[in-house]
Amino acid sequence: MKALEDLLKVEDLRTYFFTEAGVVKAVDGISLDVRKGESHGLVGESGSGKSVTALSVMRIVPKPGKIVGGKISFDGTDLLTLKEDDMRRVRGSKIAMVFQDPISSLDPLYTVGKQLIEAIRANNETVSKEQARDMAISLLSNVEISEPERRFNQYPHELSGGMKQRIAIARALARTPTLLFADEPTTNLDVTIQAQVLNLMKDLKKNFNMTLVLITHDMGIIAEMTSRVTVVYAGQVSESAETHTLFYHPTHPYTEALLKAVPRLDKRKQLQSVGGNIPNLIDPPTGCRFHPRCPYAIQICKEKVPDYEEVETDHFVACHRWKELSLVGVQ
Amino acid sequence: MSQLTEEQTAPPKRVHRQRSATQWAVAWRRFKRNKSGVAGLAIVIAFVVFAIFGPLFAPYPPRSTESLLQGQAGQPPSWKHPFGTEINGIDVFSDSIWGARNDLWIGVAATAIATLIGLAVGALAGYSRGVIGGILLGIIQFFFVIPTLLLILLFSRVFQVLVYQGFGVNLIVLILGLFGWPGISFVIRGEIFRVRELEFIQAEKALGAGNLRILFRHIVPNVLTPVIVLASLLVAGNILTEVVLFFLGFGPANVATWGELIEEGVQYVSVYPWVALFPGLLVVTLVLGFNLLGDGLADALNPRLRE
Repeated sequence: MKALEDLLKVEDLRTYFFTEAGVVKAVDGISLDVRKGESHGLVGESGSGKSVTALSVMRIVPKPGKIVGGKISFDGTDLLTLKEDDMRRVRGSKIAMVFQDPISSLDPLYTVGKQLIEAIRANNETVSKEQARDMAISLLSNVEISEPERRFNQYPHELSGGMKQRIAIARALARTPTLLFADEPTTNLDVTIQAQVLNLMKDLKKNFNMTLVLITHDMGIIAEMTSRVTVVYAGQVSESAETHTLFYHPTHPYTEALLKAVPRLDKRKQLQSVGGNIPNLIDPPTGCRFHPRCPYAIQICKEKVPDYEEVETDHFVACHRWKELSLVGVQ
Repeated sequence: MSQLTEEQTAPPKRVHRQRSATQWAVAWRRFKRNKSGVAGLAIVIAFVVFAIFGPLFAPYPPRSTESLLQGQAGQPPSWKHPFGTEINGIDVFSDSIWGARNDLWIGVAATAIATLIGLAVGALAGYSRGVIGGILLGIIQFFFVIPTLLLILLFSRVFQVLVYQGFGVNLIVLILGLFGWPGISFVIRGEIFRVRELEFIQAEKALGAGNLRILFRHIVPNVLTPVIVLASLLVAGNILTEVVLFFLGFGPANVATWGELIEEGVQYVSVYPWVALFPGLLVVTLVLGFNLLGDGLADALNPRLRE
């Protein structure tokens, strides 16, 4: 496989939420590199900091959240030092995002057409309304919506969840971004629609020549959709590798636990959940954050934060014992 | 590519409908089914018509003591004076008509002012966080806790001089408008807290929309429904405040309002009970009308009661 150049490089990102209960370290030193043209998976349990990472890259972290450290470079530009006005021009045109809940990610008061036109013309008034209308209709056919002319005049409440998500995708693609974050784009859809939407995203990624960062907690979707994966746990990266490597040769106990939790049709076996709960991010565990839930934890895991070490090319892990453990991947 | 998409498996909808029903059309359809709401609307419309066209048929000009010269003061209701006359010979029927015009104007115009201020302050207080949001909240709370009625009484005395320059009714409008907004602000601020966290606001940001665009195109329109309900109730409240103001003798002199008639009527209620009775009934009916309308709107606009 030929080496691709980095499109997005996140280094040691820290995004904290300053709540009344304390400082929630939602993202606490996540590093990520996404290469031009790839599909990169960002996987982890709810609350592990996947979404906040994406929001941080776009610099739309809701208050009381704040990016307190790290570096984000996108296509050679340092996003964190950009002026807010310039950052606004990056949003939508260079980096776009599809959100989790299609029901609430469209404004209920405007027709589908109005919202698409708004997206097309945002910060870009050179496009006339008529041109924007034609572009909106063709976007609707791009996301395989039947009767685009009719849907154009409909309100979100008249559409099914699957259609809404297609429209949210169309809106994100309105200005042909180079990088698309898809934050659990199919979590709120039922399974058959999920497959359609995922296929659509695959096609669109190819047709629009995009780089995709897919955020999910579903290892099945990761296997289906991505070429490389970063596994995050409690605001930190635990392992990162090519998808194939990660599934067959995991080196982090958390990855192994996630893989065991995937239901399999071909093997009748008791499904194993990852024991315990995701830690409190106000006062995270000492040492390796996974140690309270880790079946292989020893004394050093409680005391020392593991280094992020290179296992082989493109395969990194943060575990004290990766050399001695022989973990079981997908068989 | 899969041909069987969800829109094809869904039951066929009517295809010929070009433009879809807006949320307002849906709300109107729901409102029409609510009997008391429709009754309230009918009462309000009747009074508006009465206020606009009534003066064309009013037998006497406002505050006219013409009947006094004809020896008709303090007459009970008759064909000539359907609501009777008061001690100075003012025709209660005529002044009730002129009063309807003034009272509706006071109610509606003061509400318009209060709503605009309330919307602006509430929207900014809800959308800006940190120091600015805190200061705005302080301002809202200040206006919320000061005894508004006392201030209104004070101001109507202090600025009485304006009354002689023909500013009578509009003085009341301004005072009620300038002090009536904190309630609306509170509700707006709370609603904006709710809407601000919805995913489509985040989605708009992700598309590169600026703060003002998000606030005025996406947040404010989504909080308008409680404002409409509150405004309708505030009209009723303003009319009642007007009555209280005149009843306490703080109204500008020589302005025909229901409050003025009631105040005069109460002084002689044992002798000429009709003077307070008829305008009193009008006040009750109109206030009831606005309250029924407000309740009807609240139900019709409640998104959780969607059919």
